[in-house]
Amino acid sequence: MSKHSHTPKKERAYGKIAVAGLLTTSVGLLAAAGVYAGLSATATGAESVTSGSLNLTLSNDVGVGFSNFTGKMAPGDTDNVYVNLNNTGTLASASGMTLAVAGTPSNALTNGSIVGEGLTVTATQCSVAWTLATGTCSGATTPILATTQVSALTTPVALSNIPALVAATGQVAHVQVSLGLAATETSANGVSPASTIQGLSTTLNYTFTEQQRTGVATNQ
Amino acid sequence: MNRITRSHACRTVATAAVLLLGVALLPAIASAAGIGGRALGAESVTAGTWGATASTTSMAFATNSDQTSTVTNSGTLALSAESYVVTVSRPIIGVPRVTVFECATPWVGNRCSGGAGTQIGGTLAADSTTTITSTTPLAVGGALYLQVEMTGVIFFTTTVTIAPEVTSPAQVRTAVSSNQ
Repeated sequence: MSKHSHTPKKERAYGKIAVAGLLTTSVGLLAAAGVYAGLSATATGAESVTSGSLNLTLSNDVGVGFSNFTGKMAPGDTDNVYVNLNNTGTLASASGMTLAVAGTPSNALTNGSIVGEGLTVTATQCSVAWTLATGTCSGATTPILATTQVSALTTPVALSNIPALVAATGQVAHVQVSLGLAATETSANGVSPASTIQGLSTTLNYTFTEQQRTGVATNQ
Repeated sequence: MNRITRSHACRTVATAAVLLLGVALLPAIASAAGIGGRALGAESVTAGTWGATASTTSMAFATNSDQTSTVTNSGTLALSAESYVVTVSRPIIGVPRVTVFECATPWVGNRCSGGAGTQIGGTLAADSTTTITSTTPLAVGGALYLQVEMTGVIFFTTTVTIAPEVTSPAQVRTAVSSNQ
C-alpha cells in the first residue's frame, strides 16, 4: 500500500526532468541550425526525360480476323484466320513473344481430358499480307507455332523464330492462325462415347504477349 | 495485463514492419519486370456430331425371309461411310446364312427400285460377329434402307442384331480447310 503511494510522486519528478531536458536540447539544436543555414550554398541543374510505351495491337490482316467458326467443325477441319500483330508503341520489344489460349467454357475441346483429342492451334507468319482466297503467302513464310493442342496453351508458350516479329517500333507481323480439331471416336447406333468432344462449344481467347527491349545504360 | 499490452505492441510493430517492407519492395519488382504489351483475340467454335441410328437393331428369323431397317444420319455432320456390326446367333440345329443389302429408297416387295439393292459385305454364317462397311455417303438427316435376308437351312429361330457404327475421322465427311 505504501509503495503505491510513493510511485506517482517519483513519476512526476522524472517527468519534470525529462521536459526540462527536451527544452534544453531543442534550444541547442535551433541555435546550431541557424549557424549551418548561414553557410549553405545551392547548385541546380535540369534534365528532361520521357518514358516510352510498349503497345501490341491485333487487327485483321485479311478477312474477318478472329471470329466465329460458322457451322459444325469436323475432325480434320481447319479454320484459318489472318491477323496483324503490330508494335504501335515507342519502344522496341525484346525478341520473343508468347501465346496463351484459354477456352471458355473449358471442356474436352480445350482441357485435354481425352488424350489425343480436342482443338489444336498452328501459327505461321508471312512476310507480306496473306491471300485470303487461297490461304497462301506470296512472300516468305515462317512457322512460329507448330500444331499444338489448346490444352497445352493454357499457360503462355514461347513462339518460335520470333526475333523479327514486331521487334521494332511500327513493325507488323502477318500471322495465319489455324484452328484444327482432332478426334478419333466411334459412335454406336447414334450414341457418342461416354467421353466425347462431339457437340461441344467453346470460345477461345488468344493472348499474345511481348516484353520491352532490354534496359540500356547510357553515358552522356 | 502488461504481457497482453506488450504482445499487442509487438504485433503492431511486426505488422508495420511487414507493410513497410512490402511497400519498399514493390517498386523494385515492377521495375525489374519491365513493361509488356498484350494483344487479345477471341474465336468461337462448335464441334459437330456424327452417328447413324437404325430403326430396328434386332431381328428374329424363324424361316428364310427378309426384314428391313432404316438407318438415319442422326448427327450434325455428313457421313462418307457407315459400318454395321452384325451378329448372327447359333441355332441348336441348322445352317443359316445372312446377307445385308442397302437401298437408297425404301424396300418395296423385297425389291430396291425394282432391283436387288447393293450387298454390304459377304455372306455371314451363324454364331459370328462381323463388321461390314458401306461407302455410301449419307447427308445429315438422310436415310439408307437395309434389308437383311435369311437363307440356308433353318429349323429354329435365329436372331440377327445389326448395330450401326460411325468412326471419325474416316467415316465423317471430308475435312474442309476454310479461310475467313
